[in-house]
Amino acid sequence: MMPYFKFDYFGFDFSLVVAFIVGIGFGFALERGGFGNARILAAQFYFYNMRVLKVMFSAIVTAMLGLFYFAWIGWLDLSLVYIGDTYIVPQIIGGLILGIGFVIGGYCPGTSLVSASTGRTDGIVFVLGIFAGIFVFGELFPLIEGFYNSTNLGRVTLPEFLGISHGMVVFLVVLMALGAFAAAGWGEKVLAKKNGRGVE
Amino acid sequence: MKELLKKLSAAQKLAAAAFLLGLLALIIGTPSNNHSVNVNAKEMLLSTIKTQDRVDVMTLADWLIKEKLDYTLVDLRSEKEFAAYNIPSSLNVPVENILTSDLRRNQKILLYGNDDVASAQAWFILKSSNYKSVYILDGGLNAWKDKILFPKLADNSTDEEKSTFEKVKQISLHFGGTPQLISGGTSSAVTPQSAQVQPMPKLSAPKSPAGGVAKKKKEGC
Repeated sequence: MMPYFKFDYFGFDFSLVVAFIVGIGFGFALERGGFGNARILAAQFYFYNMRVLKVMFSAIVTAMLGLFYFAWIGWLDLSLVYIGDTYIVPQIIGGLILGIGFVIGGYCPGTSLVSASTGRTDGIVFVLGIFAGIFVFGELFPLIEGFYNSTNLGRVTLPEFLGISHGMVVFLVVLMALGAFAAAGWGEKVLAKKNGRGVE
Repeated sequence: MKELLKKLSAAQKLAAAAFLLGLLALIIGTPSNNHSVNVNAKEMLLSTIKTQDRVDVMTLADWLIKEKLDYTLVDLRSEKEFAAYNIPSSLNVPVENILTSDLRRNQKILLYGNDDVASAQAWFILKSSNYKSVYILDGGLNAWKDKILFPKLADNSTDEEKSTFEKVKQISLHFGGTPQLISGGTSSAVTPQSAQVQPMPKLSAPKSPAGGVAKKKKEGC
């Protein structure tokens, strides 16, 4: 029965080994997906290369279908899967800051590590920037702690929030993804012509 | 069909598979092992006030003698306690295994522990997990001992009480109990074997511990 860690199939020490192996696999998949390249990542924001959308949505749909069917078969107890609390206002602000950093720097935290580990200079600079940001955040934390912990909605999931079944959410997300793939394929062709740049 | 499959690219095939799985998910609805539930607190409160979810030990004794089969008697105590003594026909499901047991939602379930605490907890867990008819043995095993196995009659009791006791005595002997007469502080057993420390009745046959209740692993974090 999954999740393995919660059912005590291994202890905390071994969970770090598992995390390391999963992390290596994740990083490898990101690199092979082209996510170690800031040009490809930033192109998403200018809509002339939709690879980020395609890769991310594929990952979301794959993981979602896997979780749903594993739970249905009985291999996985969904209620034990960790879901962080929703702090709605701080998370919106945080998301915006992360998005701005993403456009400016060309990476998100995970992809910057992928990029840095493949030896790209911009990736290494970005990682240094992350540590600088963590330091500043840590020093400012006493000032923003109240805001940081505000508007806690608890554990929120889409089926509960919308009052619809899990299956309905799965179906809608799949439809959304397929629609996005179709739109992305079409948009790339149109915009590539307009901008005079090929699909990288 | 084959032609069509050949024409489609790998991405299109994957997209079609995702669509079909999504459609099936829509039909399945919600995966069943979702343990977070909504509880109608008002309804539970009402059934608690009315005590309609309680069965007293005399009724249970009656059911056992009449060999009624429409309910499942569940012993919530540990396997060790269960092995030492249990009410005839009971099934051992320690309270921590209550959700992973083989109990079905449409079964009539009668719970007992040593007292009412474990039964009340299990009752709430089962009720909130949509088990339809769950009952608590009023007073648990302690009440079973007091009223059925070792009933007592004071010698200054009325005739009415004495006649009731005669009935209880029969029931008690049926379950291997030791009815007692109490006269001025000293008690003497009605049965030949006069014992100060009442022995628990021997179990007729060793029961297999709870038909296939698997031991659940403790949660990690």
